[in-house]
Amino acid sequence: MKNFYRKVAFGLGPKDKVPSDPLEWATSQLNEIPEFSWKGKILPEKELRNYYRDYVYGDRKVLRKKFKNDKDGYKREKNKLRHVTGQKFWWNLELCIRHSEALKSETPVLAKLWYFWGNHFAISEKDFLAQYTTGAYQREVIRANMNQTFEKMVQEATVAWTMIHHLDNNDNVGPKSQEAQWAKEKGRKVGVNENHARELLELHTVSPDCGYTQEDVIQMAYVMSGWRPNWGKKRLETGDVHFNGEYHQPGTKRILGKKYKSGRKSLSAVITDLVNHPSCREFIAMKLCRYFITDNPTKEMMEPIIKAWEKSDGFLPDVHKAAVEVAFNYSEKYNKFQNPENWLLIMSKMSDVELIPTPKLMDLYTLGLKPTHEQRSLEYLLRELGHHPYLAKQPNGWSDVSDDWMSPELLIRRLVYAKEAYYKKNRKSQTNEFYEEMVEKNYDNPNEILKTINQQGDLSNRHVMLFNLPETLKS
Amino acid sequence: MKISRRNFLKGSATTLFLAGFNFPVLANTTKKKNLVIIMLRGGMDGLCAVPIIGDKNFEKRRKDLILDETIKLNSDFALHPKLKNFYNLWQNNLGAIVHATNIPYTKRSHFDGQNLMETGGHIPYAIKTGWLGRGMKLGELKGDGLALSLPMPLLLRGIPSNDNFYPSKKRLPRTELLKLLKSIYAEKSEHDLANMMEIIANRSMMSSGGTSMSRKNSSLALKAGLELKKINGPRVAVFEVDGFDTHAAQGGVNGSHSDSLIEMDSIFKSLEKGLGNEIENTLVLTLTEFGRTIEQNGGRGTEHGYGSAIFMAGGLLKKSQVYTDWPGLRKKELFEGRDLNSTIDARSVYASAMSTVFDIDFNRIQKEVFWGDKLQNLSEKLFKV
Repeated sequence: MKNFYRKVAFGLGPKDKVPSDPLEWATSQLNEIPEFSWKGKILPEKELRNYYRDYVYGDRKVLRKKFKNDKDGYKREKNKLRHVTGQKFWWNLELCIRHSEALKSETPVLAKLWYFWGNHFAISEKDFLAQYTTGAYQREVIRANMNQTFEKMVQEATVAWTMIHHLDNNDNVGPKSQEAQWAKEKGRKVGVNENHARELLELHTVSPDCGYTQEDVIQMAYVMSGWRPNWGKKRLETGDVHFNGEYHQPGTKRILGKKYKSGRKSLSAVITDLVNHPSCREFIAMKLCRYFITDNPTKEMMEPIIKAWEKSDGFLPDVHKAAVEVAFNYSEKYNKFQNPENWLLIMSKMSDVELIPTPKLMDLYTLGLKPTHEQRSLEYLLRELGHHPYLAKQPNGWSDVSDDWMSPELLIRRLVYAKEAYYKKNRKSQTNEFYEEMVEKNYDNPNEILKTINQQGDLSNRHVMLFNLPETLKS
Repeated sequence: MKISRRNFLKGSATTLFLAGFNFPVLANTTKKKNLVIIMLRGGMDGLCAVPIIGDKNFEKRRKDLILDETIKLNSDFALHPKLKNFYNLWQNNLGAIVHATNIPYTKRSHFDGQNLMETGGHIPYAIKTGWLGRGMKLGELKGDGLALSLPMPLLLRGIPSNDNFYPSKKRLPRTELLKLLKSIYAEKSEHDLANMMEIIANRSMMSSGGTSMSRKNSSLALKAGLELKKINGPRVAVFEVDGFDTHAAQGGVNGSHSDSLIEMDSIFKSLEKGLGNEIENTLVLTLTEFGRTIEQNGGRGTEHGYGSAIFMAGGLLKKSQVYTDWPGLRKKELFEGRDLNSTIDARSVYASAMSTVFDIDFNRIQKEVFWGDKLQNLSEKLFKV
């Protein structure tokens, strides 16, 4: 049962009391969205997007022209521009905010679900989104909606600037739109870009199980045509997302057999229907079970989550509670392989590793300078672990399936960074007693585990062993 | 000379592909053969790496990017002067080029293009496995793949238990601890973990007391060459080279595109060194998402294009040659009036390579790895079968 604390959160830290009612401990964290526990600076997405703007404008419109014959000069000035716009800093700050929710907040269960949704509505590696706005998008669009309905989250994520840019909806132009006419007169060819439309169906809502066709995807793209950033000479593609009727495909569209009128309101109407499709709740229930419980969820596991969804119209706190309860009920029978980031947080929480740089240190950063090693430590570490949450390779995010995390190099990283982490610990926690208490608190078989790790004489090696035992890798 | 498709048809040092017969591939199981893929990310400019000689259209559109002192390969094509190691291979009949080729993707997005170059499919993100992984599965090559990168590349997905090598800067724990973990995994029936820990423990025994190895492609390639050389070592290796997306200051011989080409060239050199004689039983191929525009842009760089080239190396090549069905560079001969066209589906080259190296009938690869897409069997033309 004690693996439940690691399954739905990050285990119990030295200061955490052992909950008398574990399920109640977990579900009570899911009603409200508290303030961030990070005490340092937090910037709005819009401000970060302006730094992105300054970078792309400066590079594309200024430096490329100025240094067209000078490769080295171009590289040098571009590097300066990176620092002037905080390119190496902001994502580190975002990771501080993100990880504080796992390690320092009263709501680690909510944090683990936040990471789930961030990965569900993934922003994968594209342009410089990760460095500037992905973290802020996950705060303002994903986390902020975790006490709302799933529908609201989809509505907002779909027209978020970061998502629209990530999935190329700015290139999605109705072939019969006014813009297409103008382009034709100028000899340019524009047309539909299905990317965002397909992912909205496949990854974000109903999944291919619902049986949509390629024609549905095209019709969905027509509905989405016109949703794009407000273009400007200086802000380029970084303006706010709005609906521009000149790019919108006129006429009625038909998706999954239902007709939608042309215009601004059609996207929202389609989303309402998609989230109410039975395939959507089945898909989300399956993914929640796969995240918490097992690579191969069963119908029985998914059932209570689907029920909670139906009863509450997809009200996320109720869906989350149902998922956590299922995880609790199956905790004896199933252990779930923890992805590298969650594993790192489990280790840091349970063994009191000072993982996150202090707010004071982060707030010392001055634009224009290269951030220090310490200020950049989280971003570097996650990259080294092979799991940077803002750099998924594809729009389907990082995998939840253990096979995808099985490689010698990825496991080597867990070995060497477990050792590193040991030396980041407070001296007071580098004692036998500390480890005995921690193992007692967090594992159902403490005696067996202590016997195993105590085969190593050195405490740092015991630490490496403990966090690479099957019981920890799979929780 | 103004090169056109017709000139090429009259013959020259360049072989033309015509729809041919698919010769059955005979199994040759006596030797261990290796396949190495080098992914060139960002869009490799085939016309910068292997420029056409004496084409006025080309020279006019790329005034500031024309290379000096190129290495002449034949009457029609030259080689980028910095590709010295590749040229060395070429001179020994261990290097060849397929030109005006690409995967069938024409939309010019890096992300979609790189996804498709790895999956081999038509719709971005629709396929979750790589063409190489699926080919290895068909050849029953479980545990024979080696990626020289940290995350397993999509290209290798589709077959489990691949190895990867991208050295950590930190010291591994003592071998004894690793062996203990391995025995615990085995005891608890965690077989995948146990297998992985076995590989790690062996690696730890070989490394010299934790001195960290370089992550430079040239060092990784030396290591990979040594591994591929072993009779029980991996049979497939995958590299990545970044930085081909040169929108600005692409430059000439010392430009930014050259930097990435030089990195690719260093892989050829180190592989050859590591493999020793086994280069004879090895095939190395490059892979990119698209080529670049013929025309230079305002920043003396190039934009995303279509047709590119494939570099090939190793003793399984038939001979040193530029293989192409050259489409020409006149405006109407260009793809959408701006890019070198692709007249050979690059997947035909990769399918033929897998057929040759894995000893699998081409038709099976075509059917089971590439969904029966229309591909040409080029094994007889390009490789020693």
